[in-house]
Amino acid sequence: MTARRPVITGVGVIGAIGVGVPAVWDALRRGEDGLSPLSLFPSPRYRGLPVGEARIEVDRAAAGFRGSRTDKLCWIAASEAFGQAVEGGGARPDPARFGVMLGSTVGGMRGSERVLQRLLKEGRRRFGPTRFHEPAGATDAVAGRLGALGPCGTYSTACSAGAMAILAAAETIGRGEADLILAGAGDCLSRLTLNGFGSLLLLDPEGCRPFDVRRKGISLGEGAAVLALESEASARRRGARILARLTGWGASCDAHHATAPDPEGRGAIAAIRAALAGAGRDAAEVDFISAHGTATPDNDAMEAGAMKAVFGAALPPFASWKRSFGHTLAASGAIEAVMCVASLQAGELAPSAGCGEPDPGLGVEPVLVSERRSLSVMLSNSFGFGGNNVALVIEQPDQPDASVRGAEDLRPEIRSAFEFAVLGEGVISASGDSQEAVARAFRDGVEPESGKGIACGDFETEPFVPPAQRRRMSRLQQMTSVAAGRALRGRNLAATPPERRCIVVGTGLGALGDSIAFLENLIERDEAAPRPALFANSVHNSLASRLAIDLGMTGLNSTPVHREISFELSLAMGCAELGEGRADIALVGAADERNARADEIFARWSRCGPVPNLVEGEGCAMFALGRPDDPGASSPRVLMPRLGRLRRSGGGIDVAAEADWLLESLEAAGVASLELDFLLTGIGGDQALDRAYRDVAKALSERTGRSLAAGGYKHKCGEFRSASGFGFLTAVGLVQGVIRPGDCLLPGDRHAVNAGPCRTAALLTWSSHGAKALTILRA
Amino acid sequence: MEALIAELKDKLIAGFKLENVKPEDIPANSPIFGTGLGLDSIDALELVAILEQDYGILIQDRKVADEAFASLEALAGFVEANRKA
Repeated sequence: MTARRPVITGVGVIGAIGVGVPAVWDALRRGEDGLSPLSLFPSPRYRGLPVGEARIEVDRAAAGFRGSRTDKLCWIAASEAFGQAVEGGGARPDPARFGVMLGSTVGGMRGSERVLQRLLKEGRRRFGPTRFHEPAGATDAVAGRLGALGPCGTYSTACSAGAMAILAAAETIGRGEADLILAGAGDCLSRLTLNGFGSLLLLDPEGCRPFDVRRKGISLGEGAAVLALESEASARRRGARILARLTGWGASCDAHHATAPDPEGRGAIAAIRAALAGAGRDAAEVDFISAHGTATPDNDAMEAGAMKAVFGAALPPFASWKRSFGHTLAASGAIEAVMCVASLQAGELAPSAGCGEPDPGLGVEPVLVSERRSLSVMLSNSFGFGGNNVALVIEQPDQPDASVRGAEDLRPEIRSAFEFAVLGEGVISASGDSQEAVARAFRDGVEPESGKGIACGDFETEPFVPPAQRRRMSRLQQMTSVAAGRALRGRNLAATPPERRCIVVGTGLGALGDSIAFLENLIERDEAAPRPALFANSVHNSLASRLAIDLGMTGLNSTPVHREISFELSLAMGCAELGEGRADIALVGAADERNARADEIFARWSRCGPVPNLVEGEGCAMFALGRPDDPGASSPRVLMPRLGRLRRSGGGIDVAAEADWLLESLEAAGVASLELDFLLTGIGGDQALDRAYRDVAKALSERTGRSLAAGGYKHKCGEFRSASGFGFLTAVGLVQGVIRPGDCLLPGDRHAVNAGPCRTAALLTWSSHGAKALTILRA
Repeated sequence: MEALIAELKDKLIAGFKLENVKPEDIPANSPIFGTGLGLDSIDALELVAILEQDYGILIQDRKVADEAFASLEALAGFVEANRKA
């Protein structure tokens, strides 16, 4: 099955060499060195280190925009891309089919670092900036400002996150779920990444020198870039100018090491080949490669080898642009994609600044001076920590995509193909560490102890986590590994080739314990001796990439980090890999952990719901998914989650519009509204949302004439970002008949609930920041 | 030197949380990383941080680390020659 390929109707960028595509491209083609001594914040250890700072006044350029520095960088790039996509009198996109998908690794870490610094060094308790901590902030803010109500998501696969967000958006448009998605990424400089890469001995004190014989490591940078990806049908309908096409994308996982690439480059080769195959291009047709080219000895050697393996003697010109931008982490893949578009349009290649003497040991030489030539097909590589690789193919717009058909006739057929089965589940929760224990907790009406929040307590790690590995794993990695091990029990993984096993693990806040320990260490000791193992665990994708190594899974490996819908985004991504025929098994789930220091500095996030003492919780739920024809498949069947954003009116949630959306989603899924037996919601967390959940259930009951209650699960697991993974476990239990609908009502809610078997359930998840997801399960 | 080697063994066991390893299990003259102890390249970088914290030795080049960590004896010699604390 070939997903329809999106066109690119707008681009935007900001980085060390400027703001706006024309200015940045001009600096890049001139091979401008973007590095200058660190000035953004004081750093005892890295004073004067060359970095790629965005040199404009970011706060002023994003005037009136509230958010972290990363959010502002993203906003600057997104507004440029969106402006271009709708300029020239082109119609604005339909809000319901207009989405935003961004990548970020640090998000608002700079602000959180300042909060911690003040707390630990000065004893000042000012926690305001922590509300912009999460990477999802940029996505929510851009969507909010531009009125996007379609699918949204945020991804954090380290240095490939920008390319991963672009991949996710392309797939979403390809499935007919959106017309236009602003896709890209942003990251700002932070003490966490500076000290983290320093602790791995990966910083070059003289500034990065990609593919140079004297290269010693990376230079960090900051920036953002966004592409307006759009279905061709929508672009033509709106009369938008088509700048280029995104024709191919491919993802893989090294399953080799937490921070180092596989020296054989097998993952990189697989991602490049998958992208070329998706674009329908032979290697010989590629005109230029935007290399990942971080200038670490390992990356450049690996990448040179991978390029030689794929392209042989016909290696096209290639360049790394890291000296001009610095390594902007998540943003790099998006910035390089935008620069590929600019390069295609200009008919000119931009050089590899910083490479003075190409390393003869590599056997390849990058472009050293700009060069005019006719360009049609560009490849862009992104490789992240944990071996999360993504490659993109971007082409001239002149060749129409033969796979284009009308959006309407394609949608239903695709949707019905995206049905999948749960093959196994694993859970670590405050209500128990197995589906049976959770079912018992529902049946017996037992609430978890909730004195100072709901914690999972100790859990058994044997036999899923070997003691020799446990010593360096974060607690969250251990939770994920145990739950994943249980989800796969009884399954012979060896029967599935490694590249057809995919893993997607969402998380709202990642391994908080290790991230905060790393930051506390560096603040308290003024950056003396930062700890590399803690840094490696602090990246959000440390969960999925750890599993990939332990389970030998080299297919797509991804990490959605979008607040309350992190789990649903994982489900959607795993489901897409199965539905598109790229994987035979998908391990999906989500995890978040409690942390005492986080409770303190993120105090604003604690929200007391209607259940007494229901405060922040934690947990992990993992599921093995397969296609419905998998021999291990049993009830229930699960449909591709539907994503969107909440409609608001008068400061609150527009209940009537949300009820419409639910009915429309059921219809699109081919489920008659009367068939729906139970609506399982995220009720029990946020008071404002809780009222609206009840009101929407009431509105649905009135319209269908069938009594529906807003049942919930958070009274059993606590309130945490990725709690809907536990919700999904509950929904599976409902349809399997091991959990009764009546037991899902919050204590104090009295409703008549259908006593009959629950054959169709829907899991509805809302985020107070606007994202929403609906997942339908059928017996 | 014997005392320093014993001290370094204790630091390795504590720093790397090697629960079931005793000092006498660590040979003094074979490579510390990539051997039977199950220590890898991130552990080697952890050791770089430990040396900075406990002995004031700043290592910024991976090649320096690789040579210093060739064996416990080599490490002890390196610490002796470079320690500031």
